[in-house]
Amino acid sequence: MKRWRLLLPMLICILATGCWNRVELNDIAIIAATGLDWKDGKWVVSYQVVLPQAISTQSASTSTAAVHVFSTKGESIRSAVSKASQETSRRLYFSHTQIVIIGQDAARKGLGPLLDTYLRNHDSRETVNVFLSKGSARRMMEQLIPLEKIPGAAIQRMINNEEMNSSTFHQMTIHKILLDLLGTTQATGIPGLVVSGTNESVDNAGQLAYTSTPSKVRLFDLGLISGDKLVGWISNEESQGVMWLANHVKKTTVPFACSEDKSEQKLSSIRITHASTKLTPRHSSGKWLMDVSVTATGTLMEYNCEGDLTNPKQIVKLQKRVEDEIVAIMQKGWGAVSKYKTDVIGFGSTIRNKYPKQWAETVASWSEEFPNIELKLKVKVNLNSTGMSGSGFKKAQEKDDL
Amino acid sequence: MNKQNTGRLTTFSPSLHANVKTIRDCFGNSTDIVIRMFRSDAAPEREIAIIYVDGIVNSQIINESVMEPLMSMRLPQHAHVKGSKLLEALRSCVVSIGSVQSVNTLEHALQYMTDGLCVIMADGSAEALTADVNGGEQRSVTIPQTQTVIRGPQHAFVESIQTNISLVRRIIRSSDLHVQVHKIGQQTHTNVAVLYLHGVADEGIIKEVYRRLAAIEIDGVLESGYVEEFIQDETFTLFPTLSNTERPDAVAAALLEGRVAVMVDGSPIALMAPTTFFTFFQSPEDYYQRYDIASFVRIIRYGAYVISILLPALYIAVTTFHQEMLPTTLLISLAAQREGIPFPGLVEALIMEITFEVLREAGLRMPRAIGPAISIVGALVLGQSAVQAGIVSAGMVIIVSFTAISNFVMPEFNMAATSRIIRFLFMIMAGIFGFFGIFISVMLMLIHLVSLRSFGVPYMSPLAPGPTKQGPWRDVFIRLPWWAIVLRPLDLNLRNPKRRPNGKKPPTQRHSDKA
Repeated sequence: MKRWRLLLPMLICILATGCWNRVELNDIAIIAATGLDWKDGKWVVSYQVVLPQAISTQSASTSTAAVHVFSTKGESIRSAVSKASQETSRRLYFSHTQIVIIGQDAARKGLGPLLDTYLRNHDSRETVNVFLSKGSARRMMEQLIPLEKIPGAAIQRMINNEEMNSSTFHQMTIHKILLDLLGTTQATGIPGLVVSGTNESVDNAGQLAYTSTPSKVRLFDLGLISGDKLVGWISNEESQGVMWLANHVKKTTVPFACSEDKSEQKLSSIRITHASTKLTPRHSSGKWLMDVSVTATGTLMEYNCEGDLTNPKQIVKLQKRVEDEIVAIMQKGWGAVSKYKTDVIGFGSTIRNKYPKQWAETVASWSEEFPNIELKLKVKVNLNSTGMSGSGFKKAQEKDDL
Repeated sequence: MNKQNTGRLTTFSPSLHANVKTIRDCFGNSTDIVIRMFRSDAAPEREIAIIYVDGIVNSQIINESVMEPLMSMRLPQHAHVKGSKLLEALRSCVVSIGSVQSVNTLEHALQYMTDGLCVIMADGSAEALTADVNGGEQRSVTIPQTQTVIRGPQHAFVESIQTNISLVRRIIRSSDLHVQVHKIGQQTHTNVAVLYLHGVADEGIIKEVYRRLAAIEIDGVLESGYVEEFIQDETFTLFPTLSNTERPDAVAAALLEGRVAVMVDGSPIALMAPTTFFTFFQSPEDYYQRYDIASFVRIIRYGAYVISILLPALYIAVTTFHQEMLPTTLLISLAAQREGIPFPGLVEALIMEITFEVLREAGLRMPRAIGPAISIVGALVLGQSAVQAGIVSAGMVIIVSFTAISNFVMPEFNMAATSRIIRFLFMIMAGIFGFFGIFISVMLMLIHLVSLRSFGVPYMSPLAPGPTKQGPWRDVFIRLPWWAIVLRPLDLNLRNPKRRPNGKKPPTQRHSDKA
């Protein structure tokens, strides 16, 4: 009997305290992408809400867009978000947000407020990919993308594809940005997005019925962040160089010319399948030197030069050509970042790790010292296969003439 | 004999007519009591009566082996034997039945009659003879209905305890197989047999089984379930602490492991004790088919058990509390299914689960002819229309169906029934607290499981408390080849723990290599 008397208060506790944070799937608005703009002294937060009905296999029709985009304004980011309840029927659900797009103006104003909300709130994940937008973030989110129903997810997969296949950009999540900006050098690079093509935007699902769209979203330029503000953009080629320096290259294709003549067209290319970069800082007579040693393995993809590829000497020559090419790419990247005096490569942290004492003296003037670092670039390329052909099509044709 | 009657036993009177009258009165002049009185040529002055209950005896045996010899008997010199000597003479010279006993009290005679024995009485003798002429209508041994196997013996127990014991004896042909029969039930006097393998089963456990059986006081025992509820260790638990089977080979296997079997007359289900949690995951077929397949299937069974108790609860918790845990694509797909569903996830799941339980119960109870109608209603109405009508989501139908199917993987029905109740508790906890509730419930379930005992053996052994030797593991989660299972389950505290001499595989010879 006593046992049952004890059970009663327990039951009351369960009934009184349970279910408080229960939320049904049809009470939430799943947000695939968030946009952040700075306009007339206010934060404009844009949301790309997934419409589950439009995606479900049972009732999906191709003529309706799978997402709905709307924006709210506020003095602070979260106050703008809280205003969303004035215009939507469901609670905004941020846990499944795939990407965050930050408009150029907002990025120049500073990422601090955004990063703070991510650090503070449990419903926003630090694994979301962050992009900068050349135009307004809202414009970027309205753009439909073929193949994927949800544009937010499409952009997320785009950067993933890019990182895995050509490594011009590196996936930047909130987590990585926080690591960089709270780290030694307080600088980072975030890939940029741009709507290319005509001014006509693809915001109607009907437009996807055509074989091509008038405009499309593409990855374009790397935005350099110093402190928490956008300081400048560097081009895709320069960004590739930065990726080589920062050991972010996974797989990429390097085109090269037959001779060292710079004006010659780069008719051949090698596919890098594995690459790693090692940075070794050195200090000599008040100047910082950086030994950059790159080792890369690749396969020949395209070859339109002379020379017998069955001869190992020719292969060594060819590797030398590719090495020079990679050095040139890195120098280009280095030139761009040193101009903006932002250490997105992470030289500062390697120095700090190796020479903590000297670093303490340098840290204050690091942005001044950084462009003066002398780079010693050393690249070792190992061509492990020339593909399924030996000397190539042209050689084979010449042989037939005999 | 039950206890109440032992106090006042009535002895027979020398007068046959008085005795016959008493017996007839005791049965209230029941019409199925056959009393045949006659005089034999050998002892014409002494009337002889044969009394039996019609229908539970084999009348052919009575006619051929009792009536016929009695009526045509030729007693030698000491023909005109007096008093009980006549009965002694009948027993030794006339009645051609294997089991003949003499009784001298009315109560014993009545008891034997209801057991299907016939009573032979003679005038002038205050004694009676009983002859075992047990018989009557009986179901023949058929294939198992609930515990079917593809490979293995295909016979099952029937309602007759004699047949059932004989089925086990035919498998274990050893004098070490001991059988003790008790009578339980003041009215039914049901035979309850205890079977064990002498020298293998633990004496303490056998004694405990006897002690618990002796303590049963009830008017009738109709099925082994009655006995199970009296002798199980814990009443307030969802988990069965005795396993049951309708297969003689399963009983034989249990006896060889050192367990004790309890059989109840009138029930084709035998009980086996002690039982651990893991024995419920072992099907007889695990031991008949190849060990690798058996191990694979057994792992599937453990997985299916977890699914059958947890899957609906996990679904409720994930979709109503922890949406962030789902992959985005799956979440969107589930959200699309839930559009327009009026009920919360928990209610939706309860509706489907209860509908399934009703369907299952209806399918079990209804006349066989209506079966197809119910399956059409079940498949169409629930599977499709409920989704189309927007009462439940398609995902929920999948979850509930898969859970239901997983439940049928369990080889033993009582454990499967347990998981159905636990599932509901888990679902409610998940609906109130999400994963937190599931976590608490699973913890409570594990705490409860390790607290259980079956005839002194920890329910979760050999998992908890841990085994002392590696032996028991060889037949818990997977089954090793037979030659590797050297030891009987050590949790039974056996005097004779070894099944076979050593752990080595018997050598094989390749004749073809040498040739």
